[in-house]
Order: sequence, then C-alpha cells, then structure tokens
Amino acid sequence: MTEYLLTTENLHNLVRQLIAEATIYAPINTAGRKYLEIVSPNNIDRIDLDGFRTVDTFKTAVFKISEQVARYFGQEEAAPIKKQVFLGIRACDLEGLSIGDRVFLEGDITDPFYKRLRENLLLISADCNDCGPTCFCTVVKGNPYPTRFFDLNLSPVDEGFIVEAKSEPGRALVDKYREYFNSPSDYMTREKNNNRREIIKKIANVNAAFHLRLDLTQTHKANLENKIWKTLTKDCVECSACNFACPSCTCFLLLDGAAGPAANSRHKVWDACLKNGYSEVAGGANSRPRLYERLQNRYHCKFDYSFERLGRFTCVGCGRCIDGCAGNIDMRKVFVELERQAPLTAKLE
Amino acid sequence: MVCPSNNPYRPIRARVEQVINETGNIKTFVFKPEEPIPFLAGQFMLVTFPGIGECAFTPSSDPKVIETIEFTIMKAGSVTAKIHELQPGEFVGLRGPYGQPYPLKAYHGKDVYVIGGGVGLAPLRALLFALNHEIDQLNKVVVRFGARSPQDICYKGVINSWGERKKTNLLITVDSTGPGWTGHVGLVTTILDENDIDVKNAVAVVCGPPIMMKFANKRLLDLGFAPKDIYLSMEKNMSCGIGKCFHCNIGKYFVCQDGPVFTWEQLKDIPEPW
Ligand code: SF4
Ligand code: SF4
Ligand code: FES
Repeated sequence: MTEYLLTTENLHNLVRQLIAEATIYAPINTAGRKYLEIVSPNNIDRIDLDGFRTVDTFKTAVFKISEQVARYFGQEEAAPIKKQVFLGIRACDLEGLSIGDRVFLEGDITDPFYKRLRENLLLISADCNDCGPTCFCTVVKGNPYPTRFFDLNLSPVDEGFIVEAKSEPGRALVDKYREYFNSPSDYMTREKNNNRREIIKKIANVNAAFHLRLDLTQTHKANLENKIWKTLTKDCVECSACNFACPSCTCFLLLDGAAGPAANSRHKVWDACLKNGYSEVAGGANSRPRLYERLQNRYHCKFDYSFERLGRFTCVGCGRCIDGCAGNIDMRKVFVELERQAPLTAKLE
Repeated sequence: MVCPSNNPYRPIRARVEQVINETGNIKTFVFKPEEPIPFLAGQFMLVTFPGIGECAFTPSSDPKVIETIEFTIMKAGSVTAKIHELQPGEFVGLRGPYGQPYPLKAYHGKDVYVIGGGVGLAPLRALLFALNHEIDQLNKVVVRFGARSPQDICYKGVINSWGERKKTNLLITVDSTGPGWTGHVGLVTTILDENDIDVKNAVAVVCGPPIMMKFANKRLLDLGFAPKDIYLSMEKNMSCGIGKCFHCNIGKYFVCQDGPVFTWEQLKDIPEPW
C-alpha cells in the first residue's frame, strides 16, 4: 500500500483546483460544530477534518430530499450532471453510503438517478481522531477510521495527512496533482497507527456502559414479540428526526405534481417509516398502526431484516438519531435492555 | 430535466378503452398501453392517474392477451376515486409488471383450490385464465368465492361460465342474501370443505381482504393443508414497486419483490402479517 503525505497547505491547494471541476462538500466549522457545506474560496480555511462526523449527513447529496424522477408522458431529457466530491466523510458515513448503494444499485432494477450521481462522486474520507458522546460505530462492528468504500483517505498527523489511495479514481487524482503529494516518514505512519489505537480506546470508554454480549440480530429476533417495545419507545413523538438524520435510511415516497409546471411530474421524496400512514393502504388497513410498532420496525429493519437481506446491520453507529431524538431515546440503551430481556424470551435460538 | 433511459419511475401511457361497472364501488377498466406490457398471473402493476399518483393492482385479464390489460378496481382511496371517474378515450400510466408470478409449474399434477373474497377475485380471474391454459397439466380447479351480497359479485355476466370450464368447479356464497339469490349464504370459510379437494395433493390460492385471508388460511390449515401449499396475496402500501422505497415490508420481505404472493410457510413466523 502506497501512502503519501499531504500537508494542510497542499490540501487547500488541491481543494482550490477541485473547486473548478466539482461540487465539493466538506465539514465546515461553525461555532465549534461541523456542518456540511459546499466549499468555495470563501470557506476553504474553515474546512475542519479534525474530530468526528458532521452534524448533518452526506446522503443528501446522492439521495436528495426531493428529486424529480419522471415527467410523463412527453419527451424526457437528461439534465447534465456535475461531479461531486465528499471531503472528510467518516467511516460511519461511508458505510451508510455503501448501504444506499446496495439498496439503489443492486437487484434486477437499479435507480438510474442515484446511479448517475454515484458514478460522478469522489470520496475523500478521513479518520476520526475524536468521537462524540453518541458515537458508537464500534458497537455495530464498525471502525472509527475508513477501511473500505473510499477513493482517498486522509489520516490526520502533526504534519498534515497521511493519504491512502484505495481506488483507480483515487490513484488518478494523486497522479494528476502529484506535486501536492509527498512521501511520508516512518514516524508519521507510526503516528497514524497510534492515533487509530487511541480513538478505538476512546470510543470504548464512551460506550463502556453499553457493552453487549449477544449479537444484535439475535437479541432483536428474540424480542420480536416482546411487549417491552412499548416501554422502550414510549418517549417517541413521531418526529422522524432519526429517519431523516440517518445516513443509511433510504425510504422514499413517489409524489406526482398536479398542476402548473409540475403537472405530470413525479418526485422521489424522503419518507419516514415512523410516520403514521407510512404503511397504510387505500381503505385504511395499516400493518403498523401503533407508533411503538413502527419504531420497533425501524430497529428490526436495521438489525434483523437487513441482516437477512444484506448480511449486515444497516445502522452504522453514527449516533445522529440519538442527537436528534426529541424524546431522548438512546439506541444503545435500547440494545442493553433488549439484551437483558433476551434470555427471558422463549424464542431465543 | 429528467432521465436516463430505463427509467423505472416513468409510466407507459395507456388509453382507457372500456369501463365496465361491476358493483356499486367496483369497476373494470380495459387499458390499451402504447407499448405491450406482457405479464404473468400474480404479478402487479402500478396504475398512474396523471397528476394524482399511483396505486398497485394485479391485472385481472388473461395474461395471454397483450394488446389490452384489464384491472378490476374498488373505489377505496383518493387515487382509486379518481380512477373511477375515467372515461373511454382518457389516459392513465402503467409501470410494471413487478413481483413474482404464481409458480404455476408447482401446481401441475395437483388440485388447485382457488379462494377469493370481494375484489380479491380480480387477480384470481387472471390466475383462472392461466390455469385454464394449462388445465391438462392440472388435476382439477376448485373455485370458492365469497361476496358481501349478490350485488357485490363481480364479473356477473361471465362468472358462472368459469365453473363450466374443463375440470373446473365453482361455488359462490354471499354473506347476506338479496333479491333473487338462491345460492349459498355464509362466509366463504363456511363453504371450504375437505371433500372439495385431495388435501394431500393440492395447493390453495387465496386472495381477498386481510380479515378474510386470515380466516381462510386458518380454515385451510385445519383442513390439513401444509403451510408451503397455501399461497396468499398480500396487500401492503407500495410506492416504488421495485424494492427501493421500503414501504411494503412484511418482516424481512418486500411485498413488491418477494411477493405479492407468499406461502404461509414464508409468513407464519411473522406476528400478524395481515
Ligand atoms: S461514529 Fe465512529 S466513525 Fe462515525 S464519527 Fe463517530 S467515531 Fe467517527
Ligand atoms: S440508526 Fe442512528 S446511529 Fe444508526 S446509522 Fe442511523 S442515525 Fe446513525
Ligand atoms: S414498494 Fe417500494 S420497496 Fe416495495
């Protein structure tokens, strides 16, 4: 594996070059918190790759809050599309993105809108060198530093960043801007590895109270019919912040425009499985009429059904749903309670 | 705007050729799509009312006929209310077909027990056409159908002739009787009889409102049907129809991809799948 050193100054030089060819999203420090913004010459110096993930999720740039996906029945023409770069995307968000890839790109039918955005996306990720109070990537089998799904990864060290190129597009970028990429010294690589060990320890400390013995798929299966869900979810107010904040939630609804310029256009719009009506059919039948059933379904979707369908959890432990929850529900506390209940429920295999 | 070719969200335009009043709130629509849309019995399509939205329906016509497609639709929500206003010459959109068809090959050599309730007869009509095309490979087809009242029976002009098809037997019951009705009165579950079929060498196909399916399924299990031999049509909220939007899940399954027809074997461990 070839590694490079990219100084902060050269990172800024690289970004200045890329602004001309792509829309770059990066964490921008605003009053101490990091939000995603489109990078321009005016905010380059506020790009902040230290710490952990942004408040908001990158998914918005490939799975849009609302996107026109059809205009019937006339002729349709494809709008030109600009290259996008996600700079400073974290391991958890990369995993989230990879889940979107599986949903939208796998199967007999692919989503051509997601596909063309995805094909024009360059991922320059970054290691976390800190974590937030709600980060729990390691609890769901992740790491706080990217190991897959990126083009280039940046690991912060004193002198700047150690860069790993994972993909062809990543290597091509390094080749194209070769003057910015230098050779790192051994001690820098040691520093990178040391940082990684430290952040793992830190996350373990943050999550010390949520140590799990059982596999999450098992605990969910064991509690499928447990009425404890009513209690666990009693503070949910159906705000759906968890759905919208989540990097791996991809539910949507197709909505048709009725009048004016929108007439006969179809839009793919974010939806939330927490909302009443989400699974209601014409005539009123609803498979999850009660709120607790819907929140339970969200957990099962991520830890049980996803495991059956995709062979993985579709929660990546970013903690955004905890930060955003109006009812202060902490997923990790739910896990602990489910595990406590699991041995008591009959169906545990 | 919009799209790349192969846009799965874009419907094909179809002309309304004919509208048939079946009952007070059920109509059959004959659509002629601008390009043929072949389908297999059991698969569903999304019907677009332009400017309003889509609803999922299983065609009720003969899958062998491809110039036109028929849907028998009950007025139940905002989209179906609009669809009910359609007149010949107007246009709708069609997407699909999606989902898994009835596995007809697996029915060969067996008795096929077809049980319908209300507008659930629509998908079964397409199935009965398909079964009739392969009737030589089947032991027999036994149809048991329940409607709320005599006025609520669809396909009035033709339904009785289905019972005259080769190796086919048909019995209709109504929940409550009405003028001129001389047939059976009672829920459809009351006319499911072990003498109708050879349970050990039969499959049952059920389509109807959730509550009817639940009780029909229970009755079939009591009659000795194996869970893997009971085929149930599940109706869930659908939006994309292509396994992307997550609206239609029953446990780990997506109705639009893994269904809409499931065996009880697949569903039996899911609490209240109806
Ligand atoms: S959850 Fe893990 S990968 Fe994500 S921001 Fe927190 S520490 Fe980083
Ligand atoms: S469920 Fe919560 S913690 Fe898990 S990926 Fe989604 S927002 Fe992050
Ligand atoms: S209808 Fe969208 S996933 Fe099934």
